[in-house]
Amino acid sequence: MKESKHNLSEFVVCINNSDYPASLELHKIYRVIADEDASEEGDIRVIDESGEDYLYPSSYFVPIQVPQTVEESLLRVS
Amino acid sequence: MKFDIIDEINNIELIAKGSGIRGINRLRKFYGLGNWKKMKGIAHIRLSSGKVKLAEIHWYEAHGIGKKEIKRKKYLE
Repeated sequence: MKESKHNLSEFVVCINNSDYPASLELHKIYRVIADEDASEEGDIRVIDESGEDYLYPSSYFVPIQVPQTVEESLLRVS
Repeated sequence: MKFDIIDEINNIELIAKGSGIRGINRLRKFYGLGNWKKMKGIAHIRLSSGKVKLAEIHWYEAHGIGKKEIKRKKYLE
């Protein structure tokens, strides 16, 4: 699966959860799952609060770079 | 990309219910107490671009509250 432009970062921060307050937490870091179809439609695939991955509008998120120790910690729990 | 469901949801199945739903406390916090179920089904959706796709969708529902947080799991065509 080709990487989307959001997958230059493996992680994003949620800046809009108004449509999904239970599934997304504002300002929380989420792991991105590579999905070419998602990026073509302006979407991003993330593992949300349910523990499953879903498509969301990419405008709900901002990509971030995290220190390696943070990345390792996030990947351990995801 | 936001979307609208444009026809009947088919192949409806129960995924989980009650305490078996991860994040049940968030559901209750934002939508209220209820006998929550996590469901899945298949429906045609229209994206804001105008494209129509057949998608597997998931949602939460409770009697008296209705369907909440309908999410796209994957496209089937």
